[in-house]
Amino acid sequence: MIDSILLVDDEDLFHLVFEDACSLLDMTLSLEALNSSDEADRLFKQWFEDGPIEERPECVFVDLNIIGSSFDGIELIRKINTDYGNGVVIGIISSSDDNQEIEKAKEVGAQFWIIKSDEIEPRLEDFIKDYNSYKTKSAPFKVYK
Amino acid sequence: MISGNDTVNEALAKAKSKKVYIEGNFTKLLKGSLDADVVAYISECKNKDKQSRRKRLDVTKQVQLQNKELEEAAVIKEALVIELQNEKDEAERLRDEAVEDLDIMQKRTQFELIGLIVKVALIIIVGVGVTTTLLYSIAMLANKDTTILGNAWSNLFGILLTNSFSIIGTIMGVKYATEKNQ
Repeated sequence: MIDSILLVDDEDLFHLVFEDACSLLDMTLSLEALNSSDEADRLFKQWFEDGPIEERPECVFVDLNIIGSSFDGIELIRKINTDYGNGVVIGIISSSDDNQEIEKAKEVGAQFWIIKSDEIEPRLEDFIKDYNSYKTKSAPFKVYK
Repeated sequence: MISGNDTVNEALAKAKSKKVYIEGNFTKLLKGSLDADVVAYISECKNKDKQSRRKRLDVTKQVQLQNKELEEAAVIKEALVIELQNEKDEAERLRDEAVEDLDIMQKRTQFELIGLIVKVALIIIVGVGVTTTLLYSIAMLANKDTTILGNAWSNLFGILLTNSFSIIGTIMGVKYATEKNQ
């Protein structure tokens, strides 16, 4: 089970879907959901500069296009991985399957790409199976279609 | 009520007696107990939580789907409104063109009519003038009495001149009135 998850997505309804799916799959004990990448950026900056670093989530799911934010999910992943010390399992959760965007995400250090659909649970189940190898950074980048 | 002095088992037993079930991720932290009743209660809490989560997930997904459909419908509606607006603009443009064509046609017909009237009037005036002048000249050359013919010629010429001005005045008046109506 993942200790704590952070979801960054502008769609409130998806927060509920994700929370319930995680609960049904016994994925995590603690889930926090944010609506903007700016807010996530601020939190990661605070954890990195002022601590406590233990408060950081273990795993982060970021939407690709976060409406109302200054930058998209790929930029947030780049910031977390390069500016705020890395150290979390991080990837994209998006309805897009654009190959160019997937490549960009891979380049900035995203570890996975989960495609949102009506049936998110099977993808999350597959993700949980691979989770330990993401944690040890031994798994290659994977797209869950 | 559950008090701070109750053991976990006692607290759970009290909750069970009141048919209050623990929900959410807290149920994941609950492990087994030596008390069979508490074990059954924990299991029931977990089952109830799973059922309510599943129900909520299904409802949320349905709402999400309906939202998506509504968003798609809104996009289609917007496209239709733009298309309708374009067609309305095009229809208005064609109507304006038709009105303008009709106006030009009416003006042309009026001008043609006025031209015809002027032409006929001029022919009559010039014809009568030429005829009387010719008669008067012949009479003078033939040394005939021109007293009556001379008076008639001058009277006729005066009348023709007055009438021609009258015709021109009428034509100008019609033209002015037509322009003013538009």
